[in-house]
Amino acid sequence: MKAFLQRSRLLPLLEALNQQIEVIAPVATEAGSVFATWQGQSLDLKTNPLSPPTEFLLPHKEILFRYIQESGRYTFKEDEIPPRLLFGIRPCDLHAIAVLDKIFGQPPLDQVYFSRRRATALVVQNCIAPGRACFCAALGAGPGAEDPCDLLLTDIGDGFLCEAETPAGILILNAGADLLQPAGSAHLQDKARLLQEARESMPQDRSCAQIRTAMERADWEALGRECLGCGSCTFVCPVCHCFNILDLGVPDGARLRCRDSCLLSGFSRLTGGANPRRTPGQRLQHWYQDKFEDIFQITGLPGCVGCGRCHLACPAAIDRVDLTVKGSREVRR
Amino acid sequence: MSEYIPMQAEIVDMDIESPNTYLITLKLLEEGVDFRYLPGQFVMISVFGLGECPISIASSPTRRSLELCIRRAGKVTSGIMDCLVGDVVGIRGPYGNGFPLDRMKRDVVIAGGGSGFATLRSLINYIADRREEFGKVTVAYGARTSQDLYFMQEYKSWQKAGMEVAVTVDIDDEFWKGNVGLVTSLIDRFDLNPGSAAICGPPVMINAVAGKLMARGFHRADIYISLERNMKCGVGKCEHCAIGPYHVCQDGPVFSYDRVRDVL
Repeated sequence: MKAFLQRSRLLPLLEALNQQIEVIAPVATEAGSVFATWQGQSLDLKTNPLSPPTEFLLPHKEILFRYIQESGRYTFKEDEIPPRLLFGIRPCDLHAIAVLDKIFGQPPLDQVYFSRRRATALVVQNCIAPGRACFCAALGAGPGAEDPCDLLLTDIGDGFLCEAETPAGILILNAGADLLQPAGSAHLQDKARLLQEARESMPQDRSCAQIRTAMERADWEALGRECLGCGSCTFVCPVCHCFNILDLGVPDGARLRCRDSCLLSGFSRLTGGANPRRTPGQRLQHWYQDKFEDIFQITGLPGCVGCGRCHLACPAAIDRVDLTVKGSREVRR
Repeated sequence: MSEYIPMQAEIVDMDIESPNTYLITLKLLEEGVDFRYLPGQFVMISVFGLGECPISIASSPTRRSLELCIRRAGKVTSGIMDCLVGDVVGIRGPYGNGFPLDRMKRDVVIAGGGSGFATLRSLINYIADRREEFGKVTVAYGARTSQDLYFMQEYKSWQKAGMEVAVTVDIDDEFWKGNVGLVTSLIDRFDLNPGSAAICGPPVMINAVAGKLMARGFHRADIYISLERNMKCGVGKCEHCAIGPYHVCQDGPVFSYDRVRDVL
Protein backbone atom coordinates (compact mmCIF):
# COMPACT_ATOMS: atom_id res chain seq x y z
CA MET A 1 0.00 0.00 0.00
CA LYS A 2 1.38 3.39 -1.05
CA ALA A 3 0.21 6.81 0.12
CA PHE A 4 1.39 10.41 0.35
CA LEU A 5 1.53 12.29 3.66
CA GLN A 6 1.88 16.05 3.68
CA ARG A 7 4.65 17.34 5.94
CA SER A 8 2.15 19.14 8.18
CA ARG A 9 0.26 15.88 8.68
CA LEU A 10 3.24 13.95 10.10
CA LEU A 11 2.74 15.03 13.73
CA PRO A 12 -1.00 14.28 13.68
CA LEU A 13 -0.14 10.77 12.37
CA LEU A 14 2.38 10.27 15.18
CA GLU A 15 -0.14 11.54 17.72
CA ALA A 16 -2.72 9.06 16.43
CA LEU A 17 -0.15 6.24 16.71
CA ASN A 18 0.92 7.38 20.15
CA GLN A 19 -2.63 6.67 21.36
CA GLN A 20 -2.15 3.01 20.49
CA ILE A 21 1.50 2.15 21.05
CA GLU A 22 4.74 3.51 22.56
CA VAL A 23 6.46 5.45 19.79
CA ILE A 24 10.27 5.72 19.78
CA ALA A 25 11.49 8.48 17.49
CA PRO A 26 14.59 10.62 16.91
CA VAL A 27 13.98 13.70 19.06
CA ALA A 28 16.05 16.88 19.26
CA THR A 29 17.85 17.41 22.57
CA GLU A 30 20.59 19.76 23.73
CA ALA A 31 23.01 16.85 23.31
CA GLY A 32 21.88 16.26 19.73
CA SER A 33 19.43 13.87 18.19
CA VAL A 34 18.53 10.76 20.23
CA PHE A 35 16.02 7.94 19.90
CA ALA A 36 13.59 8.29 22.79
CA THR A 37 9.97 7.72 23.70
CA TRP A 38 8.08 10.40 21.80
CA GLN A 39 5.64 12.46 23.81
CA GLY A 40 5.31 15.47 21.60
CA GLN A 41 8.96 16.68 21.66
CA SER A 42 10.32 18.22 18.48
CA LEU A 43 11.52 15.59 16.04
CA ASP A 44 14.93 15.61 14.40
CA LEU A 45 14.56 13.64 11.19
CA LYS A 46 17.62 15.27 9.59
CA THR A 47 20.45 13.62 11.54
CA ASN A 48 20.81 9.96 12.40
CA PRO A 49 21.34 9.80 16.20
CA LEU A 50 24.82 8.76 17.35
CA SER A 51 23.29 6.13 19.63
CA PRO A 52 21.75 3.52 17.31
CA PRO A 53 18.10 2.38 17.48
CA THR A 54 19.28 -1.22 17.93
CA GLU A 55 19.57 -0.37 21.64
CA PHE A 56 15.80 -0.93 21.75
CA LEU A 57 16.31 -4.53 20.62
CA LEU A 58 19.47 -5.17 22.62
CA PRO A 59 19.30 -2.67 25.49
CA HIS A 60 22.39 -1.54 27.38
CA LYS A 61 20.85 -3.35 30.32
CA GLU A 62 17.91 -5.74 30.30
CA ILE A 63 16.43 -8.38 32.56
CA LEU A 64 16.80 -11.92 31.21
CA PHE A 65 14.64 -13.29 34.02
CA ARG A 66 13.83 -12.75 37.66
CA TYR A 67 14.53 -15.35 40.34
CA ILE A 68 12.42 -15.66 43.44
CA GLN A 69 13.63 -17.85 46.30
CA GLU A 70 11.38 -19.76 48.63
CA SER A 71 12.66 -22.44 51.05
CA GLY A 72 15.88 -22.80 49.07
CA ARG A 73 14.11 -23.43 45.74
CA TYR A 74 13.66 -20.90 42.97
CA THR A 75 10.92 -19.84 40.61
CA PHE A 76 11.75 -17.86 37.48
CA LYS A 77 9.77 -15.15 35.79
CA GLU A 78 10.30 -13.42 32.47
CA ASP A 79 9.08 -9.84 32.05
CA GLU A 80 6.42 -9.03 29.46
CA ILE A 81 7.84 -7.10 26.52
CA PRO A 82 5.48 -4.22 25.64
CA PRO A 83 4.84 -3.55 21.94
CA ARG A 84 6.72 -0.57 20.51
CA LEU A 85 7.09 1.34 17.31
CA LEU A 86 10.54 2.45 16.19
CA PHE A 87 9.92 5.50 14.03
CA GLY A 88 12.32 7.14 11.60
CA ILE A 89 15.21 4.67 11.70
CA ARG A 90 17.58 4.71 8.72
CA PRO A 91 18.19 2.00 6.12
CA CYS A 92 21.69 1.37 7.52
CA ASP A 93 20.25 0.59 10.95
CA LEU A 94 17.51 -1.53 9.37
CA HIS A 95 20.27 -3.48 7.64
CA ALA A 96 22.05 -3.82 11.00
CA ILE A 97 18.84 -5.32 12.41
CA ALA A 98 18.83 -7.82 9.52
CA VAL A 99 22.40 -8.82 10.51
CA LEU A 100 21.44 -9.06 14.22
CA ASP A 101 18.43 -11.21 13.27
CA LYS A 102 20.81 -13.67 11.61
CA ILE A 103 23.30 -13.64 14.50
CA PHE A 104 20.68 -14.09 17.23
CA GLY A 105 18.79 -16.52 14.99
CA GLN A 106 21.71 -18.97 14.86
CA PRO A 107 20.63 -22.07 16.78
CA PRO A 108 19.93 -22.04 19.63
CA LEU A 109 17.72 -19.04 18.91
CA ASP A 110 17.98 -16.12 21.36
CA GLN A 111 14.39 -15.90 22.63
CA VAL A 112 15.01 -12.75 24.63
CA TYR A 113 16.19 -10.85 21.55
CA PHE A 114 13.36 -12.13 19.39
CA SER A 115 10.65 -11.36 21.93
CA ARG A 116 11.73 -7.71 21.69
CA ARG A 117 12.17 -7.94 17.94
CA ARG A 118 8.69 -9.35 17.40
CA ALA A 119 7.12 -6.71 19.63
CA THR A 120 8.76 -3.88 17.68
CA ALA A 121 7.26 -2.34 14.54
CA LEU A 122 9.80 -0.67 12.23
CA VAL A 123 9.07 2.57 10.40
CA VAL A 124 12.08 3.40 8.25
CA GLN A 125 13.03 6.72 6.74
CA ASN A 126 15.03 6.58 3.51
CA CYS A 127 18.21 8.67 3.53
CA ILE A 128 18.09 11.56 1.09
CA ALA A 129 20.80 13.61 2.85
CA PRO A 130 23.55 11.30 4.15
CA GLY A 131 25.77 12.48 7.00
CA ARG A 132 29.43 13.44 6.63
CA ALA A 133 30.80 10.07 7.78
CA CYS A 134 28.27 7.89 5.94
CA PHE A 135 29.32 5.24 3.42
CA CYS A 136 26.36 2.83 3.44
CA ALA A 137 26.11 2.90 -0.38
CA ALA A 138 29.52 1.21 -0.70
CA LEU A 139 28.38 -1.59 1.62
CA GLY A 140 24.94 -2.11 0.10
CA ALA A 141 23.15 -0.97 3.26
CA GLY A 142 21.57 2.25 1.93
CA PRO A 143 20.66 4.99 1.20
CA GLY A 144 17.40 3.30 0.15
CA ALA A 145 16.04 0.56 2.42
CA GLU A 146 16.39 -2.91 0.91
CA ASP A 147 15.59 -5.00 3.99
CA PRO A 148 12.06 -5.80 5.16
CA CYS A 149 10.36 -3.27 7.43
CA ASP A 150 6.74 -2.42 8.21
CA LEU A 151 6.53 1.06 6.76
CA LEU A 152 8.98 2.94 4.56
CA LEU A 153 8.97 6.73 4.37
CA THR A 154 10.78 8.91 1.84
CA ASP A 155 10.96 12.67 2.32
CA ILE A 156 10.19 13.99 -1.18
CA GLY A 157 10.08 17.71 -0.39
CA ASP A 158 6.57 18.77 0.54
CA GLY A 159 5.79 15.51 2.30
CA PHE A 160 6.50 11.82 2.66
CA LEU A 161 5.91 8.95 0.30
CA CYS A 162 4.66 6.13 2.56
CA GLU A 163 5.04 2.52 1.49
CA ALA A 164 3.49 -0.09 3.78
CA GLU A 165 5.17 -3.46 3.33
CA THR A 166 3.44 -5.60 5.99
CA PRO A 167 -0.01 -5.88 7.61
CA ALA A 168 1.47 -3.99 10.59
CA GLY A 169 2.58 -1.24 8.20
CA ILE A 170 -0.92 -0.95 6.74
CA LEU A 171 -2.34 -0.74 10.28
CA ILE A 172 0.09 2.08 11.05
CA LEU A 173 -1.09 3.99 7.99
CA ASN A 174 -4.72 3.28 8.82
CA ALA A 175 -4.21 5.00 12.16
CA GLY A 176 -4.05 8.21 10.15
CA ALA A 177 -6.18 7.21 7.17
CA ASP A 178 -7.91 10.59 6.97
CA LEU A 179 -4.52 12.35 6.85
CA LEU A 180 -3.31 10.54 3.73
CA GLN A 181 -3.56 11.27 0.04
CA PRO A 182 -3.12 8.76 -2.77
CA ALA A 183 0.44 8.39 -4.04
CA GLY A 184 1.16 8.94 -7.75
CA SER A 185 3.94 7.90 -10.10
CA ALA A 186 5.47 11.38 -9.74
CA HIS A 187 6.07 10.62 -6.06
CA LEU A 188 7.83 7.37 -6.97
CA GLN A 189 9.97 9.16 -9.54
CA ASP A 190 10.93 11.78 -6.95
CA LYS A 191 11.95 9.02 -4.56
CA ALA A 192 14.12 7.29 -7.19
CA ARG A 193 15.81 10.57 -8.16
CA LEU A 194 16.50 11.68 -4.58
CA LEU A 195 17.95 8.29 -3.63
CA GLN A 196 20.17 8.30 -6.74
CA GLU A 197 21.47 11.76 -5.76
CA ALA A 198 22.08 10.59 -2.20
CA ARG A 199 23.94 7.53 -3.45
CA GLU A 200 26.18 9.62 -5.68
CA SER A 201 26.93 12.09 -2.88
CA MET A 202 28.56 9.35 -0.79
CA PRO A 203 32.11 8.02 -1.08
CA GLN A 204 32.13 4.91 -3.26
CA ASP A 205 35.62 3.72 -2.32
CA ARG A 206 34.80 2.12 1.03
CA SER A 207 33.49 -1.28 0.07
CA CYS A 208 34.00 -4.42 2.09
CA ALA A 209 36.83 -5.43 -0.28
CA GLN A 210 38.54 -2.06 0.07
CA ILE A 211 38.34 -2.12 3.84
CA ARG A 212 39.76 -5.66 3.80
CA THR A 213 42.70 -4.32 1.78
CA ALA A 214 43.17 -1.54 4.34
CA MET A 215 43.10 -4.21 7.07
CA GLU A 216 45.85 -6.19 5.34
CA ARG A 217 48.25 -3.27 5.27
CA ALA A 218 47.22 -1.86 8.67
CA ASP A 219 49.87 -1.65 11.40
CA TRP A 220 47.63 -2.91 14.22
CA GLU A 221 50.08 -2.38 17.03
CA ALA A 222 50.63 1.23 15.95
CA LEU A 223 46.85 1.72 15.75
CA GLY A 224 46.59 0.08 19.16
CA ARG A 225 48.92 2.71 20.61
CA GLU A 226 46.50 5.38 19.34
CA CYS A 227 43.40 3.51 20.57
CA LEU A 228 42.26 4.53 24.06
CA GLY A 229 40.48 1.20 24.52
CA CYS A 230 37.31 3.03 25.57
CA GLY A 231 34.91 0.92 23.50
CA SER A 232 33.02 3.99 22.22
CA CYS A 233 33.05 2.65 18.65
CA THR A 234 31.46 -0.60 19.79
CA PHE A 235 28.75 1.07 21.86
CA VAL A 236 27.62 3.26 18.94
CA CYS A 237 27.86 0.46 16.37
CA PRO A 238 24.40 -0.83 15.40
CA VAL A 239 25.79 -4.32 14.67
CA CYS A 240 27.92 -4.73 17.80
CA HIS A 241 26.16 -7.05 20.22
CA CYS A 242 28.75 -8.28 22.76
CA PHE A 243 27.20 -8.73 26.17
CA ASN A 244 27.86 -9.89 29.68
CA ILE A 245 25.50 -11.71 32.05
CA LEU A 246 25.35 -10.87 35.74
CA ASP A 247 23.10 -11.17 38.77
CA LEU A 248 21.64 -8.44 40.92
CA GLY A 249 19.94 -9.22 44.23
CA VAL A 250 19.96 -11.83 47.01
CA PRO A 251 17.92 -13.92 47.75
CA ASP A 252 15.47 -12.59 45.13
CA GLY A 253 16.71 -10.63 42.18
CA ALA A 254 17.27 -10.63 38.46
CA ARG A 255 19.78 -12.00 36.01
CA LEU A 256 20.76 -9.16 33.71
CA ARG A 257 22.25 -8.92 30.28
CA CYS A 258 24.48 -5.86 29.88
CA ARG A 259 26.30 -4.61 26.82
CA ASP A 260 30.02 -5.33 26.77
CA SER A 261 32.81 -4.52 24.32
CA CYS A 262 35.56 -6.64 22.79
CA LEU A 263 37.78 -3.55 22.84
CA LEU A 264 37.83 -3.45 26.64
CA SER A 265 40.96 -5.06 28.08
CA GLY A 266 39.20 -7.60 30.33
CA PHE A 267 36.78 -8.86 27.69
CA SER A 268 38.52 -12.12 26.85
CA ARG A 269 40.71 -12.41 29.96
CA LEU A 270 40.54 -15.84 31.58
CA THR A 271 40.04 -16.46 35.27
CA GLY A 272 43.70 -17.33 35.77
CA GLY A 273 44.76 -13.99 34.26
CA ALA A 274 45.87 -15.16 30.80
CA ASN A 275 44.43 -13.02 28.01
CA PRO A 276 44.14 -14.33 24.45
CA ARG A 277 43.91 -10.72 23.17
CA ARG A 278 46.39 -8.86 25.31
CA THR A 279 47.13 -5.65 23.42
CA PRO A 280 44.79 -2.87 22.22
CA GLY A 281 46.10 -3.56 18.71
CA GLN A 282 45.08 -7.23 18.90
CA ARG A 283 41.64 -6.21 20.13
CA LEU A 284 41.18 -3.62 17.37
CA GLN A 285 42.28 -6.16 14.77
CA HIS A 286 39.79 -8.67 16.20
CA TRP A 287 36.98 -6.10 15.93
CA TYR A 288 37.71 -5.54 12.24
CA GLN A 289 38.27 -9.24 11.60
CA ASP A 290 34.90 -9.98 13.18
CA LYS A 291 33.06 -7.33 11.14
CA PHE A 292 34.56 -7.92 7.73
CA GLU A 293 35.42 -11.64 7.80
CA ASP A 294 33.77 -13.61 10.61
CA ILE A 295 30.23 -12.15 10.67
CA PHE A 296 30.29 -12.32 6.86
CA GLN A 297 31.21 -16.00 7.07
CA ILE A 298 28.43 -16.72 9.61
CA THR A 299 25.59 -14.60 8.17
CA GLY A 300 26.56 -13.92 4.57
CA LEU A 301 26.49 -10.18 5.35
CA PRO A 302 29.32 -7.91 6.51
CA GLY A 303 29.14 -6.79 10.14
CA CYS A 304 29.47 -3.14 9.07
CA VAL A 305 26.66 -1.07 7.55
CA GLY A 306 28.63 2.09 6.78
CA CYS A 307 26.79 4.35 9.23
CA GLY A 308 30.11 6.00 10.13
CA ARG A 309 29.25 6.25 13.83
CA CYS A 310 32.54 4.67 14.97
CA HIS A 311 34.38 7.32 13.02
CA LEU A 312 32.40 10.12 14.70
CA ALA A 313 32.62 8.61 18.20
CA CYS A 314 36.34 7.72 18.30
CA PRO A 315 38.02 10.07 20.82
CA ALA A 316 41.45 9.06 19.51
CA ALA A 317 40.46 10.25 16.02
CA ILE A 318 41.56 7.01 14.38
CA ASP A 319 40.44 7.03 10.75
CA ARG A 320 38.16 4.01 11.03
CA VAL A 321 38.01 3.45 7.32
CA ASP A 322 41.48 3.82 5.87
CA LEU A 323 43.15 2.57 9.09
CA THR A 324 46.29 4.64 8.68
CA VAL A 325 48.06 6.02 11.72
CA LYS A 326 47.78 9.77 11.71
CA GLY A 327 49.78 10.15 14.90
CA SER A 328 46.98 12.23 16.38
CA ARG A 329 48.33 11.81 19.89
CA GLU A 330 51.73 13.11 18.79
CA VAL A 331 50.05 16.11 17.17
CA ARG A 332 48.10 16.90 20.33
CA ARG A 333 51.25 16.86 22.41
CA MET B 1 11.16 -20.04 28.31
CA SER B 2 14.45 -18.67 27.08
CA GLU B 3 17.71 -20.53 26.82
CA TYR B 4 19.06 -18.33 29.63
CA ILE B 5 16.79 -19.74 32.32
CA PRO B 6 18.73 -22.45 34.14
CA MET B 7 17.56 -25.75 35.56
CA GLN B 8 17.85 -26.16 39.32
CA ALA B 9 20.22 -28.72 40.77
CA GLU B 10 20.82 -29.73 44.35
CA ILE B 11 24.34 -30.23 45.62
CA VAL B 12 24.21 -33.78 47.00
CA ASP B 13 27.91 -34.30 47.73
CA MET B 14 31.10 -32.28 48.05
CA ASP B 15 34.55 -33.88 48.09
CA ILE B 16 37.81 -32.05 48.63
CA GLU B 17 40.20 -32.70 45.74
CA SER B 18 42.87 -30.17 46.74
CA PRO B 19 43.05 -27.31 49.23
CA ASN B 20 41.25 -25.02 46.75
CA THR B 21 39.27 -27.51 44.69
CA TYR B 22 36.06 -29.43 45.38
CA LEU B 23 34.37 -32.17 43.41
CA ILE B 24 30.66 -31.51 43.71
CA THR B 25 27.90 -33.94 42.80
CA LEU B 26 24.65 -32.50 41.49
CA LYS B 27 21.13 -33.85 41.28
CA LEU B 28 18.80 -32.16 38.81
CA LEU B 29 15.55 -31.12 40.47
CA GLU B 30 13.69 -30.65 37.20
CA GLU B 31 11.25 -33.45 36.44
CA GLY B 32 11.58 -35.37 33.23
CA VAL B 33 14.75 -33.70 32.00
CA ASP B 34 16.93 -35.97 29.90
CA PHE B 35 20.37 -34.57 30.73
CA ARG B 36 22.63 -36.35 28.23
CA TYR B 37 26.19 -35.25 27.73
CA LEU B 38 29.52 -36.27 26.24
CA PRO B 39 32.99 -36.19 27.78
CA GLY B 40 34.43 -32.73 27.01
CA GLN B 41 31.15 -30.81 27.26
CA PHE B 42 30.56 -28.13 29.87
CA VAL B 43 27.72 -26.47 31.76
CA MET B 44 27.02 -22.91 32.85
CA ILE B 45 26.62 -23.13 36.59
CA SER B 46 25.21 -20.32 38.70
CA VAL B 47 24.74 -19.23 42.26
CA PHE B 48 21.76 -16.87 42.24
CA GLY B 49 22.93 -13.43 43.23
CA LEU B 50 26.56 -14.05 42.29
CA GLY B 51 26.30 -15.01 38.63
CA GLU B 52 27.23 -17.74 36.20
CA CYS B 53 30.43 -19.37 35.00
CA PRO B 54 31.39 -22.20 32.65
CA ILE B 55 32.59 -25.45 34.25
CA SER B 56 33.52 -28.61 32.38
CA ILE B 57 31.77 -31.83 33.37
CA ALA B 58 34.17 -34.07 35.28
CA SER B 59 31.99 -37.20 35.40
CA SER B 60 31.47 -39.73 32.63
CA PRO B 61 28.05 -40.18 31.00
CA THR B 62 28.57 -43.92 31.50
CA ARG B 63 28.04 -43.37 35.25
CA ARG B 64 25.02 -42.11 37.11
CA SER B 65 26.18 -39.03 38.95
CA LEU B 66 26.82 -35.60 37.51
CA GLU B 67 30.06 -34.21 38.93
CA LEU B 68 31.83 -30.89 38.48
CA CYS B 69 35.34 -30.11 39.65
CA ILE B 70 35.44 -26.55 40.93
CA ARG B 71 38.52 -24.56 41.81
CA ARG B 72 38.15 -21.42 43.90
CA ALA B 73 39.08 -18.76 41.38
CA GLY B 74 36.43 -16.06 41.14
CA LYS B 75 33.15 -14.85 42.56
CA VAL B 76 30.94 -17.69 41.34
CA THR B 77 33.34 -20.56 42.02
CA SER B 78 33.93 -19.21 45.52
CA GLY B 79 30.17 -18.98 45.95
CA ILE B 80 29.73 -22.62 44.97
CA MET B 81 32.48 -23.75 47.34
CA ASP B 82 30.81 -21.82 50.14
CA CYS B 83 27.59 -23.77 49.49
CA LEU B 84 26.54 -26.67 51.71
CA VAL B 85 25.20 -30.05 50.70
CA GLY B 86 21.48 -29.51 50.06
CA ASP B 87 21.90 -26.04 48.57
CA VAL B 88 20.48 -25.33 45.13
CA VAL B 89 22.44 -23.96 42.17
CA GLY B 90 21.43 -23.15 38.60
CA ILE B 91 22.69 -25.16 35.67
CA ARG B 92 22.40 -24.66 31.89
CA GLY B 93 23.65 -27.00 29.25
CA PRO B 94 25.31 -29.25 28.43
CA TYR B 95 27.08 -27.01 25.91
CA GLY B 96 29.87 -27.51 23.40
CA ASN B 97 30.85 -30.40 21.19
CA GLY B 98 32.73 -32.80 23.48
CA PHE B 99 35.51 -35.14 22.39
CA PRO B 100 34.99 -36.87 19.00
CA LEU B 101 34.78 -40.32 20.57
CA ASP B 102 34.23 -42.23 17.33
CA ARG B 103 37.44 -40.86 15.87
CA MET B 104 39.35 -41.68 19.04
CA LYS B 105 38.57 -45.39 19.14
CA ARG B 106 42.21 -46.53 18.76
CA ASP B 107 45.34 -45.85 20.82
CA VAL B 108 44.75 -42.74 22.94
CA VAL B 109 47.17 -40.46 24.75
CA ILE B 110 45.52 -38.25 27.38
CA ALA B 111 47.64 -35.39 28.71
CA GLY B 112 46.45 -32.93 31.34
CA GLY B 113 47.98 -30.00 33.18
CA GLY B 114 46.55 -28.43 36.32
CA SER B 115 42.79 -27.93 36.55
CA GLY B 116 42.49 -28.85 32.85
CA PHE B 117 42.57 -32.47 34.04
CA ALA B 118 38.93 -32.26 35.20
CA THR B 119 37.44 -32.50 31.70
CA LEU B 120 39.88 -35.33 30.86
CA ARG B 121 38.67 -37.35 33.86
CA SER B 122 35.29 -37.55 32.12
CA LEU B 123 37.01 -39.01 29.04
CA ILE B 124 39.20 -41.37 31.07
CA ASN B 125 36.26 -42.83 32.99
CA TYR B 126 34.26 -43.10 29.77
CA ILE B 127 37.10 -45.11 28.19
CA ALA B 128 37.51 -47.19 31.37
CA ASP B 129 33.83 -48.17 31.14
CA ARG B 130 34.03 -48.98 27.43
CA ARG B 131 37.55 -50.27 27.49
CA GLU B 132 37.14 -52.80 24.64
CA GLU B 133 36.30 -50.03 22.14
CA PHE B 134 39.66 -48.32 22.55
CA GLY B 135 43.27 -49.40 22.00
CA LYS B 136 46.20 -48.72 24.25
CA VAL B 137 45.46 -45.82 26.62
CA THR B 138 48.16 -43.67 28.18
CA VAL B 139 47.44 -40.96 30.75
CA ALA B 140 49.99 -38.25 31.62
CA TYR B 141 49.07 -35.68 34.26
CA GLY B 142 51.01 -32.88 35.86
CA ALA B 143 50.15 -30.45 38.65
CA ARG B 144 52.07 -27.76 40.49
CA THR B 145 52.54 -29.68 43.75
CA SER B 146 51.38 -33.02 45.11
CA GLN B 147 48.68 -31.10 47.02
CA ASP B 148 47.21 -29.96 43.69
CA LEU B 149 46.80 -33.43 42.16
CA TYR B 150 43.15 -34.28 41.52
CA PHE B 151 41.41 -37.69 41.62
CA MET B 152 44.35 -39.49 43.30
CA GLN B 153 42.10 -42.27 44.62
CA GLU B 154 41.12 -43.18 41.04
CA TYR B 155 44.53 -43.78 39.44
CA LYS B 156 44.55 -47.40 40.65
CA SER B 157 41.17 -48.10 39.03
CA TRP B 158 42.41 -46.66 35.73
CA GLN B 159 45.49 -48.86 35.90
CA LYS B 160 43.27 -51.83 36.67
CA ALA B 161 41.33 -51.00 33.50
CA GLY B 162 44.58 -51.48 31.61
CA MET B 163 45.64 -47.87 31.23
CA GLU B 164 49.17 -46.64 31.70
CA VAL B 165 48.99 -43.75 34.18
CA ALA B 166 51.90 -41.44 34.98
CA VAL B 167 51.78 -38.38 37.21
CA THR B 168 54.28 -35.62 37.85
CA VAL B 169 54.56 -32.43 39.88
CA ASP B 170 56.41 -29.19 39.14
CA ILE B 171 57.57 -28.61 42.71
CA ASP B 172 58.76 -31.43 44.94
CA ASP B 173 57.84 -31.65 48.62
CA GLU B 174 58.32 -34.00 51.58
CA PHE B 175 55.07 -35.89 50.88
CA TRP B 176 55.90 -36.67 47.27
CA LYS B 177 57.80 -39.74 46.18
CA GLY B 178 56.95 -39.68 42.45
CA ASN B 179 58.08 -37.85 39.31
CA VAL B 180 59.16 -34.23 39.33
CA GLY B 181 59.14 -32.30 36.06
CA LEU B 182 56.93 -31.34 33.16
CA VAL B 183 54.22 -33.49 31.56
CA THR B 184 56.40 -33.61 28.43
CA SER B 185 59.01 -35.56 30.37
CA LEU B 186 56.37 -38.27 30.97
CA ILE B 187 55.53 -38.40 27.26
CA ASP B 188 59.22 -39.01 26.50
CA ARG B 189 59.15 -42.15 28.62
CA PHE B 190 56.08 -43.75 27.04
CA ASP B 191 56.26 -46.35 24.32
CA LEU B 192 53.73 -44.88 21.87
CA ASN B 193 52.27 -45.72 18.50
CA PRO B 194 50.74 -42.81 16.58
CA GLY B 195 47.01 -42.65 17.39
CA SER B 196 44.73 -40.00 18.81
CA ALA B 197 45.35 -37.65 21.71
CA ALA B 198 43.37 -35.41 24.06
CA ILE B 199 45.12 -32.49 25.77
CA CYS B 200 43.88 -29.89 28.22
CA GLY B 201 46.01 -27.47 30.18
CA PRO B 202 47.86 -24.16 29.87
CA PRO B 203 48.73 -23.13 26.26
CA VAL B 204 52.49 -23.61 26.83
CA MET B 205 51.88 -27.18 27.99
CA ILE B 206 49.50 -27.92 25.10
CA ASN B 207 52.03 -26.74 22.52
CA ALA B 208 54.87 -28.67 24.18
CA VAL B 209 52.91 -31.93 24.41
CA ALA B 210 51.47 -31.60 20.88
CA GLY B 211 55.01 -30.93 19.61
CA LYS B 212 56.33 -34.09 21.30
CA LEU B 213 53.46 -36.18 19.93
CA MET B 214 53.90 -34.89 16.38
CA ALA B 215 57.61 -35.72 16.62
CA ARG B 216 56.50 -39.26 17.47
CA GLY B 217 54.39 -39.48 14.30
CA PHE B 218 50.97 -38.27 15.54
CA HIS B 219 49.02 -36.32 12.94
CA ARG B 220 48.05 -32.83 14.16
CA ALA B 221 44.43 -33.43 13.09
CA ASP B 222 44.30 -36.39 15.51
CA ILE B 223 45.36 -34.31 18.50
CA TYR B 224 42.32 -32.84 20.23
CA ILE B 225 42.63 -29.79 22.45
CA SER B 226 40.04 -28.62 24.95
CA LEU B 227 40.28 -24.82 24.97
CA GLU B 228 39.65 -22.55 27.91
CA ARG B 229 37.91 -19.29 27.07
CA ASN B 230 35.97 -16.66 28.98
CA MET B 231 32.35 -17.64 28.23
CA LYS B 232 29.27 -15.75 29.31
CA CYS B 233 26.30 -17.05 27.34
CA GLY B 234 27.25 -20.58 26.27
CA VAL B 235 25.07 -20.27 23.16
CA GLY B 236 27.36 -18.45 20.71
CA LYS B 237 25.93 -14.96 21.05
CA CYS B 238 27.91 -12.89 23.56
CA GLU B 239 31.20 -13.07 21.56
CA HIS B 240 33.44 -13.47 24.61
CA CYS B 241 34.85 -16.78 23.38
CA ALA B 242 34.97 -15.93 19.66
CA ILE B 243 38.00 -17.11 17.72
CA GLY B 244 37.56 -16.11 14.09
CA PRO B 245 34.20 -17.46 12.90
CA TYR B 246 34.15 -20.05 15.72
CA HIS B 247 32.55 -19.73 19.12
CA VAL B 248 34.42 -21.95 21.57
CA CYS B 249 31.18 -22.52 23.51
CA GLN B 250 29.35 -23.96 20.49
CA ASP B 251 31.97 -25.07 17.95
CA GLY B 252 34.36 -26.17 20.73
CA PRO B 253 35.64 -26.38 23.37
CA VAL B 254 37.32 -29.37 21.70
CA PHE B 255 39.23 -28.55 18.53
CA SER B 256 41.80 -30.50 16.59
CA TYR B 257 45.27 -29.03 17.00
CA ASP B 258 45.58 -28.02 13.33
CA ARG B 259 42.59 -25.67 13.73
CA VAL B 260 43.70 -23.85 16.87
CA ARG B 261 47.50 -23.98 16.79
CA ASP B 262 47.74 -20.28 15.88
CA VAL B 263 45.39 -18.99 18.56
CA LEU B 264 46.78 -20.74 21.63
